[in-house]
Amino acid sequence: MKIGVYLCQCGGNVTAAISYDRVSEALLCGDPQAYTERVDFLCSAEGKEAFLESLKAKHPDRVVVAACSPREYETLFRQILADAGINSYYLQMVNVREQIAWVTADPARATEKAITGLRAAMARVRRQEALESREVEASSEVLVIGAGTAGLQAALTLAEAGRKVMLVEKSPAIGGKTVLYEELFPTMECGPCLLEPVEAEVLHGDYAHNIELLLLSEVAELNGYFGNFTAKIRQRPRCVGEQCIGCGLCVEACPASSPNPFNCGISEKKAMSLPFLGALPNAPYIDQNVCVRAQGRQCQACADACPIPGTVRLDEQERTLERKVGAVIVAIGSKLYDSGEIPFLGYGKIENVYSSLEFERIAAANGPTGGHIVTKAGKAPASLAIVHCVGSLDAARNPHCSGICCSYALKFNRMVEHKLPGTRVYHLYRELVVAGKDGFTMLDHARENHNSVFIRYRNIDELAVSTAGEGQRIVYTDAGGTKGAIDTDMVVLCPAMLGAEDSDRLAVIAELGRNQAGFFDELNGRLHAAQSKVKGIYLAGSCQAPMDIREATSQGMAAAGYILSSLVEGKKLTVDPIFASVIEERCSGCQICGGVCPYKAITFLAEERVSSINPLLCHGCGTCVSACPAGAIKGNHFTNDQILAEIEAILQ
Amino acid sequence: MTHPQAAQGKAFEPKIVGFLCNWCSYAGADKAGSAQTPYPPNVNVIRVMCSGRVDPQFILRAFQSGADGVLVLACHPGDCHYKEGNYRAAQRHRILLRLLAQFGIAPDRCRFDYVSAAEGEKFVRVIHECVTAVNALGPLHLTAEKTTLPVKETKRAPATAGAKQSRKVA
Repeated sequence: MKIGVYLCQCGGNVTAAISYDRVSEALLCGDPQAYTERVDFLCSAEGKEAFLESLKAKHPDRVVVAACSPREYETLFRQILADAGINSYYLQMVNVREQIAWVTADPARATEKAITGLRAAMARVRRQEALESREVEASSEVLVIGAGTAGLQAALTLAEAGRKVMLVEKSPAIGGKTVLYEELFPTMECGPCLLEPVEAEVLHGDYAHNIELLLLSEVAELNGYFGNFTAKIRQRPRCVGEQCIGCGLCVEACPASSPNPFNCGISEKKAMSLPFLGALPNAPYIDQNVCVRAQGRQCQACADACPIPGTVRLDEQERTLERKVGAVIVAIGSKLYDSGEIPFLGYGKIENVYSSLEFERIAAANGPTGGHIVTKAGKAPASLAIVHCVGSLDAARNPHCSGICCSYALKFNRMVEHKLPGTRVYHLYRELVVAGKDGFTMLDHARENHNSVFIRYRNIDELAVSTAGEGQRIVYTDAGGTKGAIDTDMVVLCPAMLGAEDSDRLAVIAELGRNQAGFFDELNGRLHAAQSKVKGIYLAGSCQAPMDIREATSQGMAAAGYILSSLVEGKKLTVDPIFASVIEERCSGCQICGGVCPYKAITFLAEERVSSINPLLCHGCGTCVSACPAGAIKGNHFTNDQILAEIEAILQ
Repeated sequence: MTHPQAAQGKAFEPKIVGFLCNWCSYAGADKAGSAQTPYPPNVNVIRVMCSGRVDPQFILRAFQSGADGVLVLACHPGDCHYKEGNYRAAQRHRILLRLLAQFGIAPDRCRFDYVSAAEGEKFVRVIHECVTAVNALGPLHLTAEKTTLPVKETKRAPATAGAKQSRKVA
């Protein structure tokens, strides 16, 4: 086997410390078939040219390059090998500059070390195998789970780029939580005003034909891998066809009603109803839990009232669809911590104690009180207490800060100031967190409101809300340890944001990890926050971490961007040849490898009783190779044989 | 068995094999290089993509083949390019030390540490410490007594074969 050893002089940087004469002599003495060649500046245009020409002329079987760090130029030199018609993976580099010449004081010892390193590289490179990138077919279609802000933005971005998107939403309307808010911090812009144009684009815009919207639906199964997922989607019956014009006659006719979840149960809604006023798509649906037909009674009042025959389809059944997609965006949002778990706050027990989401609905023009902030008795409150940090910044409950609560609490302050001038607003907080460009302006504004009172409490468990006359009395201990009490007519709690209700189910289906608060694990919280640990499954919005609308929007678009760049229509996926594979004859089926793989690239084939590694998902770290007790896993380009040869050559 | 250098009367220069992960520690070593801080040349580096790839058998083979010390460097906890390979490496190292003790190999001969891509200075410090520690321990002699687990005197291989196997640890 002929090994060509190329020694880069690096303009004297290397040769000042290492004698290439001695290196050549030592190497050729150990391997007479080898040849060495010196090049000055191997990375320069002339150097690359000389390297290529020499490779073409001498046709070595393997190539060793002594130069700078492989982290810098390995890719470049591999390309030159390929250009010379030599397999790129027949190259091994020795870092004689950064790790020998520049750091070894004694030239004799530097030369010795270079000889040792090059001998090891020659021993290794002999055992290196020709590797080729493989290509696999991939679907460019995308499944987006959740049609809130993040999901809508992601779906729209992809659709505008010509991608087919399947948008799956569990509720009967799109828009998530944003459309439930009358006003948004920091600019007090209205939620529906902000999002409705996006919703309209998704429903009827120029690219709407690329989006298949499935409402009242959930993902029941997700199998496969990046480029080739198969999703099973279960869709509950809406019982209202697409020809519906949203006139509402069926709603009027419906005899059954129950508390409306969109108004947090504060108002009632019919079995046949719009999710909320202004909901998109503008069509009612039948809530099967409320409809009297579901209880076995005969009724078709809605169908009789409908002016368009065939629109109300009372016999519609649940259906299951199957779709092939290349990537998945999980954008299922968040939920609020149950404030009822903190016993003395009176949530769910004392009247006029609301969660922030309930208060949003009370303050919304399309909410249960028509936008009038009133107590259960129908009176405008003379004072209102906002309790921050409920269930968060609390080691026993949720240690994290939800990041947005202070901002919306300050927004509430402004809304109350605007709607009910003169109303006293107490802010009871543990920490005030108003980061970002506009945070301080909001805080400043609230402090300028002379009806605002800011009280820092010591511990939420020392806070107790009780009924006092028509209002409530809150006793607290402030940060300095002084006890105090305030009387209010309404209490608004700002609970911690947690991973969505459905996150546990989806975590199982998609094999996603979650933290204690239920947020999905990202590939890297800083660099790749929109990517999950499973290749091809992306995260957008508050299912990944507490975030506001701006961040959710950015993340939705980031997730779409990842997909647009990695899954290009009509282009096959390239599989990097540095992956691990199972040698089936040796595999005993112990499944240790599956447990150590950080990428869920290893599956156990129950029938054959062996593990199998998906090269598309494998990142080539080699942890499984080391873990396999039978030596039944081969890590390409870092095989046991290659590394052991390197070790032994070093110690010769 | 005498260390060849010791036999020639030269000062002892330990032979150390360093396994460095590509993303943090190898980059840390490159940083030390860019800073051109000199350090002892006793550690020959083997680059692996992840410290999780360092099979404990590599370390055993290194000692068997004549290494006086082994150094495994990984990304800091939480920084692993592959999420958790460095945790595996740390766990394996802890267990391996217990095995090495049975062969009479002192724990200081097998060091595990974390070096980030920015920690050129730490890399240099770790090399110094590692070389000093192995130097203090002297050449590694894997004798038959030390490498064979205490078993009952039954059918033992002849003395010549035993001597031949004296360095066989894996």
